[in-house]
Amino acid sequence: MIELRDVSKSYQQGAPAINHINLKIEKGEFVFIVGNSGSGKSTMIKLLMKELDPTAGKIVINGQDLSTLKRRRIPKLRRMIGVVFQDFRLLKDRSVYDNIAFAEKVVGASSRTIRRRVPQMLNLVGLSEKYRSFPKELSGGEQQRVAIARALVNNPSILLADEPTGNLDPKNSWEIMKLLEEVNRRGTTVLVVTHNREIVDAMQKRVVTMNKGIIVSDEQKGGHYYADKYVSL
Amino acid sequence: MRISTLAYSIKQGIKNIFRNRFFSLASIGTIAACIFLLGIFYSIVTNFTHIVEQAEDQVSVTVFFNEGITQEQIDAIGADIRAQKAVGEVSFTSAEEAWEQFKADYFAKNPELAEGFSSNPLAKSASYTVQVKDVEKQSELVAHIEGLDGVRQVNYSARTANTLSDVGRLAGYISVAIIAVLLGVGIFLISNTIVVGISVRKEEINIMKYIGATDFFVRAPFVVEGLLIGLVGATIPLVAIYYLYSEIISYVMKQFSGLTNIVSFLPVGTIFQVLLPLGLGVGAGIGLVGSIMSIRKHLKV
Ligand SMILES: Nc1ncnc2c1ncn2[C@@H]1O[C@H](COP(=O)(O)OP(=O)(O)O)[C@@H](O)[C@H]1O
Ligand SMILES: [Mg+2]
Repeated sequence: MIELRDVSKSYQQGAPAINHINLKIEKGEFVFIVGNSGSGKSTMIKLLMKELDPTAGKIVINGQDLSTLKRRRIPKLRRMIGVVFQDFRLLKDRSVYDNIAFAEKVVGASSRTIRRRVPQMLNLVGLSEKYRSFPKELSGGEQQRVAIARALVNNPSILLADEPTGNLDPKNSWEIMKLLEEVNRRGTTVLVVTHNREIVDAMQKRVVTMNKGIIVSDEQKGGHYYADKYVSL
Repeated sequence: MRISTLAYSIKQGIKNIFRNRFFSLASIGTIAACIFLLGIFYSIVTNFTHIVEQAEDQVSVTVFFNEGITQEQIDAIGADIRAQKAVGEVSFTSAEEAWEQFKADYFAKNPELAEGFSSNPLAKSASYTVQVKDVEKQSELVAHIEGLDGVRQVNYSARTANTLSDVGRLAGYISVAIIAVLLGVGIFLISNTIVVGISVRKEEINIMKYIGATDFFVRAPFVVEGLLIGLVGATIPLVAIYYLYSEIISYVMKQFSGLTNIVSFLPVGTIFQVLLPLGLGVGAGIGLVGSIMSIRKHLKV
């Protein structure tokens, strides 16, 4: 479960990137976060990972208050959260297999666990055949699948995706969204930041719309409608 | 810590060294030079200390008396000398003993020659032999004894002793200065090597952080890298010194040929009892300090 209570975040200069936000996401939900550029979506993702600390308010994830979380304990938090980005962020000098295995090595998994889990993940994202390829030999969609596999290999309870289809064509975007939906169906809480209006409209999930650091609408089975409305304001 | 984590850190540490060959080699070279000089100077200083100790054992002052001195006066002089700080053993040689000793030394093969002397030709040769514990105090002591009533002459071997301790001290100062400079350069180069390694792997480190790597896991490879560079940098000169030691000794012997008969040098095993842990320790220390400095500055996890 994710809960933001009256959370604000200001950077050194400019208006607050997040301005008194309240948001509650239950375990197992699938939520789209939409809103135009600069509305604070990425900042929110960073707050959830405790890459940044809020200037005010309280964030609780799986019962853990992030403000009282010791720096030393941050790795533990991040192991509960998988994350993928628009630019994939794969290690270019390593194969698909090694990129996924890397995430397991980082958390100190045994090589036996790694040998068991990596093929499972490859199978889930449909890249079993390409485990020896290097990132530059893959399409954008395939690279994002690898990133998703890497994010999930340690079995996090939450998956955060910051514009995961931002660099992809519509077909690949759809496949990635379908994959994320499948991940959610298997029990992971999924939060997807996106600009992709057709997909959001079509998938009929909960949609949280942000603008200038505030939540302007929060609709179950919502469309992209409110985002447009507030962009024009 | 898990074995797999340790193995990972070591593997990555080694990888870093090879990925960053130029800087690694420069660091290893500097540390090697540092430890090499440390080793040579340690050998020299230890040997000189050893030699000075030998010489100190040999340093003695002989005190002769005025003609017609009484036994009471001789005893009084003896008591005064014994009261001096730098004085070790004091032994008295009577004129008769001196003559017997002389005969034994020089007329052993022709005792009939000694028969020619009707009276003791060394009648004036009663003496104290004074062991000097601290060579540096010798001149002071000699001056004091010379000032005593009834003392005719004081013989001593001032020059050898002074030269020995001066050379020893000079070698000590030079070694400390050069080693300090090289130590600094070594730490500087290692920390630069690590900084380059960190910047090359910036992307990977970022990924590791959001996957949930601990500080320890992110940092350990760089500590291993510094440590290994330090240890390799130390091992090369230690091996070299081990084999070159006798060559260096003979070189030193040639430079100070006057000492050849008086002194003996320490065996390589004795030197390495200290030099091996010292060298490896200094190498590892340079590596650790260098890498931890960089990590502190550039790897705020
Ligand atoms: N590191 C930063 N330093 C200063 N301002 C920032 C930083 N990151 C983001 N901002 C500002 O905060 C606001 C929200 O940014 P962001 O969270 O990236 O929005 P979004 O992801 O919705 O496009 C923007 O005005 C942006 O300029
Ligand atoms: Mg963003």
